[in-house]
Amino acid sequence: MTLFAQLVIGGLSLGSVYALLALGFVVIYKSSGVVNFAHPALLMIGAYVIARLSAGALPFAVALLAGVVAAGVAALVAERLLVRRMSGRSVIAVTIATLGVDVIVETEIVRRIGIDAYVPTHDPWGDRLVHLGAVVVPQSRIAALLVCAGFIAGFLLWQRRSRWGVAMRAVAEDAPTAGLMGVRRGTVSALAWTLAGVLAAVAGLFIIAFPSPGLQPMTASVALRAFPAAIIGGLDSVAGAIVGGAVVGLAEVLAQGYASNLTFLGTGFAGVLPYLVMVLVLLVRPSGLFGVRELHRV
Amino acid sequence: MTADHPAADVPAPDAKRRRPRAAATARLALLGLGLAVPFLADAFWLQIGLFAMAAAVAALGMTLLLGQAGQLSLGHSFFVAVGAYGYTFLAAPGDRLAGGLGLPPVVAAVLAVVLAGAAGVLFSPIAARLRGVYLGIATLGLVFLGQHVLANAPRLTGGDNGRSVPAFAVGGLSFGSDPGGPQYLLNVLWGREQKLWYLFLVVTVAAYGYLRSLIRARPGRAWRAIRDRELMAGIIGVPVTRYKAYAFLLSSMYAGLGGVLFAIAFRRIVPETFGVSLSIEYLAMVVIGGLGVAGGAVAGATFVAGLPSVLERYAGVLPGLSSSAGAPGVSPAVAARFTYGAAVVVLLLFEPAGLAGLARRLRRRPRARRPGP
Amino acid sequence: MTALDVRDVSAHFAGVVALDGVSFSVSPGSIHALIGPNGAGKSTLFNVVSGVYRPRSGSVLFRDVDLTRLASYRIAALGVARTFQNIALIPTETVEENLMLGRHHLTRSGFSPAALRLPNARRQAARHRARVRDVADFVGLGGKLTASAGALSYGDQKRVEIARALCVEPRLLLLDEPAAGMNSRETAVTAALIRAIRDGLGIPVLLVEHDMGLVMGIADRVTVLDFGRLIADGTPAQIQSDPAVQQAYLGTEGEDAA
Repeated sequence: MTLFAQLVIGGLSLGSVYALLALGFVVIYKSSGVVNFAHPALLMIGAYVIARLSAGALPFAVALLAGVVAAGVAALVAERLLVRRMSGRSVIAVTIATLGVDVIVETEIVRRIGIDAYVPTHDPWGDRLVHLGAVVVPQSRIAALLVCAGFIAGFLLWQRRSRWGVAMRAVAEDAPTAGLMGVRRGTVSALAWTLAGVLAAVAGLFIIAFPSPGLQPMTASVALRAFPAAIIGGLDSVAGAIVGGAVVGLAEVLAQGYASNLTFLGTGFAGVLPYLVMVLVLLVRPSGLFGVRELHRV
Repeated sequence: MTADHPAADVPAPDAKRRRPRAAATARLALLGLGLAVPFLADAFWLQIGLFAMAAAVAALGMTLLLGQAGQLSLGHSFFVAVGAYGYTFLAAPGDRLAGGLGLPPVVAAVLAVVLAGAAGVLFSPIAARLRGVYLGIATLGLVFLGQHVLANAPRLTGGDNGRSVPAFAVGGLSFGSDPGGPQYLLNVLWGREQKLWYLFLVVTVAAYGYLRSLIRARPGRAWRAIRDRELMAGIIGVPVTRYKAYAFLLSSMYAGLGGVLFAIAFRRIVPETFGVSLSIEYLAMVVIGGLGVAGGAVAGATFVAGLPSVLERYAGVLPGLSSSAGAPGVSPAVAARFTYGAAVVVLLLFEPAGLAGLARRLRRRPRARRPGP
Repeated sequence: MTALDVRDVSAHFAGVVALDGVSFSVSPGSIHALIGPNGAGKSTLFNVVSGVYRPRSGSVLFRDVDLTRLASYRIAALGVARTFQNIALIPTETVEENLMLGRHHLTRSGFSPAALRLPNARRQAARHRARVRDVADFVGLGGKLTASAGALSYGDQKRVEIARALCVEPRLLLLDEPAAGMNSRETAVTAALIRAIRDGLGIPVLLVEHDMGLVMGIADRVTVLDFGRLIADGTPAQIQSDPAVQQAYLGTEGEDAA
């Protein structure tokens, strides 16, 4: 029972990280109609800056801030230089373009991670554990859950209350009308991308904090799991991103935790599981759990 | 964002062939050059050519699936893996390191391609239900599934160190290295690379010709209708689901064949080759070459597959490239990645029809200016 | 014997009743118009007949087959062809290639014969191309076969739509607003073409139209929909004097002029 509780907490923690990533992904899609395959790159940029700077003399908070700013700026640059230039083009064209950007950025970061293939992170939580009764959970996991949930809650509140949040929702709902009502779609799009970069950096921080601290080339493939999370929820649903992230996180951690019982599925099954879950969901609901089915007008 | 597919930016094949003589002559000239290469170039270049042709065959399948039928697939490397491992396993004699069935290489090759096709058909019902990016990410799952299977099947893969690939042979004619010392033909070394060159050339030209004919005939028309106006296509009489299945069947067979060629050319295969990166490379090949254009797939494949080796050869003279590990500069493999990633972005921004589009523009230059889009 | 038998068709979308028990039939060799205010359900009915939507209830009988049970491509194979309100051509391809798409279901040759350019496949293709040329001439596009479909004028594109539908060798033609966006001269040309299809080719036509002049001029029979319900069905003269129709379009006396 304690194992199960630990796994659930771990799963929700990882799920909240995936949810944060998927959220940024969905926000970009809803505000600018782009499927951003460069999202792992944003995460890697943030994670790399944080990891490198935290090893030096700077306090961790500064490193964190620098990583967040770096990712946010990178996202904004991508939006201005690429997405704006390609407005009016097909979704697939822009998607492939973001894939090209991802290739360039990831190649560069992996090159910098270099021969040691590992950049240690000096996060404040380290190996410390938290005891909740009989359940023992690493402090970094609790931190991840609290911080990511906090960011998600903050985002939802912001979307409801603040002017720009409402503007973003308006653009996602009906872009032409929003434009006619005076909403600056270009600004909303830039805002959405920057926000997604920030969220990706925060998610990146926690991905390199546990289970194995440090930034590796493999970190990017962990980030890739945000895609099935977003798809499971439905590309155009904020709630879907959160649910999808939780589902993927829980599935992955539970599969890993009970791996000894699941040896017939092979080692490393936890990595494939998100995609299997995704395909199963898509078979029943081809647009994701909360996605809206396109009504084709002829 | 429009719903139009980027391949729709690429003008369809001219039904009325403008200057058909010129185009046919160019193609014949290329073929002649291809036939002459083993007498002109050394084994290093021939080996690059083998890789390029293996990549070209797989890329032809990719351009069919994405460029003609409009289905975004990131799972191409999965089907390439089926071809490569299928051939290797079926043709290898099997020992304590890795299993094998010891079939004749021709049989193994054909079966491997059939296997890849079967995998494509099995996946197509899932694919038919999905659109756009949803399909793309589902196919991504295929790659991870493939990697997972390979990681857990040491009898198939020979473990982390990979396994060697049986040499190809037809009847008594072997395409491997000659054990009895070098042979000569017309004063030129006649070895493994030279023999394989002609084999690969025949396969590549046949694959290219087959696809090109399909594109110009009824299937191509049906696929493009599905790509650009799926609903209308069904209403006008195209069985959409069936044709999507055809697209997956054919493209996965092309991928499987490319995998067989790759295995034969490389002589050794490791599981990590067939991951997401390879799928992205195929995507880059067909975008760079020009989506939906058979010649574009070959050109793009040659570029992306050949670049790393070429850069490595000239690393000493090219600025910024490091000629060995630890030397300053960027490694050739990394430089190649930067190049094709940037090429994809730049082309999509400025010439979405890729190299094929550029070629078309150059051909149109002497005529009156066309109204721009 | 009817060309098309719509029986009690009802369709719902997201809680909205788009069609409510609509029944009418199209007589062989006739031009039958479907009219009604915007949102009346005309396009929905077309989409039900073409197999795009499955109705909640009811059936559509064509040559003794219920179309509502069939996939779109089978409906085309049976001989129902249609044009589209928003032009659905492939703009980057030539007119001829667009028309050849209509021949898809009539071609039997498989992949490999086509790819290997076997003589039988080539003969079939040549025959189809000849037929496509005939249809193009009939419709008035004879000289434009090699033009890029996207480069044509709007009126010509509309004609390609009609030609492509004719290339399907239909036994029933559905025209979705064939005169939309046309001036009076172009409309007259379209009207003449539709009459020629009925008289010269003997193909019954069901058309959705807003242009009353065109409808009253060429239709043999008119069916009026409003809010998904059939409110009138008769000859053009009968429809024009029908008070229910007038109310639907213009409102009754005493209502504010909207």
